[in-house]
Amino acid sequence: MKLRQALIAIPLAASIAWFPSPSPSADYAGTQDRWWGPGETRAWPQRLDYANSQGLVGVLRDGPVLETRGHAFFTSLGPNGRACVTCHQPADGMSLSAATARERWSVTGGRDPLFAAIDGSNCPNLPQEKESSHSLLLGRGLIRVSLPWPPRGEDGKPLDPEFTLEVVRDPTGCNTGAVHGLKSAQPSVSVYRRPRPVANTKYTTHQNFGVLPFIGKNGLPATRDPDNGKPSAMNLMADARAATLKLQAQDAATNHLQMPAALTPAQLGEIVAFEGSLYVAQAASHTAGSLEEAGGPSGLGPDAMRKGEAGVLGNNTTRWVVPMENKWKSLPRTGDVAADARAAARESIQRGHDVYMFRTFWIRDSMHLNSVGLGNPTKRTCSTCHGMHMTGMDTANGWMDIGTTNLPWAKEEPLNPWNSSKPEMPLFKVTCKASVPPHPFLGRVIYTQDPGRALISGRCNDVGTIVMQQLRGLSARAPYFSNGSANTLREVVDFYDRRYAIGYSEQEKQDLVNFLGAL
Amino acid sequence: MKAGPLLLLFAATAQAAQPDPSLRNFVACPIVRDTASVPCWLAEYDGELYFLTLQTDVSAPVNPPWLGHRVLVEGRRSDKPRICGGIPLEPVRLSVIAEPDASCNQLLPAEDRYNLTFEPPRPPGPSAGRLAFNTLPMPTQPAAIKKEPQRYTLDYYFDGMVNFKTPFQLAPVLDMARAMPATRVEIVGYRSAALLSNGKVLQEQPDLARRRAEQVVELLKGAGLTAPQYQVRWVDASPVPNGTDDYRNRKVEITLQP
Ligand code: HEC
Ligand code: HEC
Repeated sequence: MKLRQALIAIPLAASIAWFPSPSPSADYAGTQDRWWGPGETRAWPQRLDYANSQGLVGVLRDGPVLETRGHAFFTSLGPNGRACVTCHQPADGMSLSAATARERWSVTGGRDPLFAAIDGSNCPNLPQEKESSHSLLLGRGLIRVSLPWPPRGEDGKPLDPEFTLEVVRDPTGCNTGAVHGLKSAQPSVSVYRRPRPVANTKYTTHQNFGVLPFIGKNGLPATRDPDNGKPSAMNLMADARAATLKLQAQDAATNHLQMPAALTPAQLGEIVAFEGSLYVAQAASHTAGSLEEAGGPSGLGPDAMRKGEAGVLGNNTTRWVVPMENKWKSLPRTGDVAADARAAARESIQRGHDVYMFRTFWIRDSMHLNSVGLGNPTKRTCSTCHGMHMTGMDTANGWMDIGTTNLPWAKEEPLNPWNSSKPEMPLFKVTCKASVPPHPFLGRVIYTQDPGRALISGRCNDVGTIVMQQLRGLSARAPYFSNGSANTLREVVDFYDRRYAIGYSEQEKQDLVNFLGAL
Repeated sequence: MKAGPLLLLFAATAQAAQPDPSLRNFVACPIVRDTASVPCWLAEYDGELYFLTLQTDVSAPVNPPWLGHRVLVEGRRSDKPRICGGIPLEPVRLSVIAEPDASCNQLLPAEDRYNLTFEPPRPPGPSAGRLAFNTLPMPTQPAAIKKEPQRYTLDYYFDGMVNFKTPFQLAPVLDMARAMPATRVEIVGYRSAALLSNGKVLQEQPDLARRRAEQVVELLKGAGLTAPQYQVRWVDASPVPNGTDDYRNRKVEITLQP
């Protein structure tokens, strides 16, 4: 991997004319402005726009200008020098792209707190100064997530899991290690996951459709907010282990910042209020121009996220997942080359929207989708799973297995005498105990890179189920999927094309990529 | 918590009545037939093709089964015109058999002659803005707080534990128990057997009555209902099946005592 290749120059000049004001911070090459470091004295404005490979991502703050100095989200609260903002950067749609991680490595010679041994390296016991010890973060944007095994119940007591867990492959050494491994004094599992966008939280934590005391996927009790006893939407983190943003913030402070003490109520309040004030979406496209022009599609751009209704179904032709009102269905051509190219790009986004909403395929053997009343297979569309209005998440309890971490669909390094690359991800063998029914689609023995929700629930049926992320600001935060296995949106679409034997035409693929890139 | 098996003797009823000739109770591989709209779900029994249900959405009273698994069909042959080439079973109950069966893998292509002659409750893509059926009311706070015992029944698929439909049945129980507030929750689990049309009897797993009952306690406690006293019983002796309404004994009864 060549680190400096990441510093892509973006041809902004040609298209700058239609960029919305305030004008973008166009520098992709890691200036102070693009990177928000812990403890800086800076003002966070109501609107930030940052360039990415597709155009601009817009970060809207619904609140006054924020002085970051002393603010809990921006302050290094533990000994490792990190703050929340280290992994949740505005230029990356409030997540962290692998390109940014590479850039930090090259700018700081690997000394940025981002690379802290605890979870910014493949395993804390590796030589930290070596680039190869951080290959998962640099290559795929992955952070080590260490979870206790067996899982703990709400009362903190160990659960009796429905399956046994063995380590089949351990390229990072962490799962078999004497200190961090499955057989250590504090048995833990290390999985490697992408940071998730910290924005649009009124959608990810809504109290609306589908939020019930019992999980709509399997009838088990939902997690609850300890402050008021209300069930949560269970859509935070890849495995829904954090019931609320407050619980999540404490978990992040303890594990990512290595903060020894608990966050104070004031710090918690500050963090959660800031998270709730941010709205992220792609704001402009190099080819299609502004995505938030007056009179344009109402579902695009960050302000649409601020205005949207939270926690309602959009897999219908009344609300839509991303309302576009067919505004870009058929645009006039003027003979002006630039304007006509923009019109063509906008029509492609609209067609991609229609592919997303209406192009059916057979969704098959996907746990918590085919098992919840639609039948296996079911002839449906992208919007069946990604159905929440505005975010394209599942409205609640959004963990499903589409094969991103479970074999045989997960991306694996081809092993042969001519390939010198080694597998990078751990591989686990899950064996469902005889006392429970087998996994309906995968049987009793499952190989997986990340058991996902099953690491929390201990349930066989949850193996490899991952809570989907919101489909907004995607262009700012490659790579995709929780294990970073898709480098580009095109690779995401190609994954689906293989996984469900969709048979998209080249045109459909391009349109779908353009649509996703404009969200 | 008091627990203990309650053994009841059920009178055998099957031998009395003549078996109803329209009953179609069987275990088979489901078959999917694509159409120009939503796919149909079919199954063969005794040389005849039956229509089970259409793909709709989670709210459907009858949800389609799964390829990769056999299905227990408990239905009644109707006189209605064929759908997708199959004789409609009405009413029909479908229970997916838990053990995978890779031989169940028939996905038939659409054929013009089998296209639907009616508008399906929901198209294969986005709906027109509602669930296809109104059988999944979103639970609300109980209309009136009751001061007399309240009884609820949770039903189950054959051999099944709680599933994606349970939340809609269980949430009102929880709401009422809190509103009352209930001082005691009485839970009785049951298990059934199914009489197939070929005369064979399919038993649910032994001990299922207990596991169903105890799971409901876990669910209610897990959802925060820890104040009331729980009284749990189960009836693991399945009644003699009659082929007509065997599903009625796949249940857990919950009584809330104020
Ligand atoms: C070292 C990088 C890192 C740091 C520092 C960090 N996070 Fe994260 N964050 C992650 C990762 C990785 C995930 C996803 C974890 C998973 O899915 O299991 C995540 C997920 C989240 C989510 C869930 C978003 C969603 O919609 O699912 C929130 C909220 C969040 N972080 C907030 C915070 C806060 C608040 C802090 C500071 C206290 C913080 N993060 C510090 C890496 C980091
Ligand atoms: C069976 C349900 C299902 C279907 C159908 C489905 N998805 Fe997904 N999608 C998921 C889940 C679950 C994830 C999270 C997987 C992970 O992170 O490992 C996901 C993740 C994604 C992501 C990555 C998001 C991110 O932030 O990394 C994109 C993009 C996406 N899906 C687009 C699509 C498109 C386009 C289609 C239609 C071709 C589609 N999905 C169909 C369930 C589904």
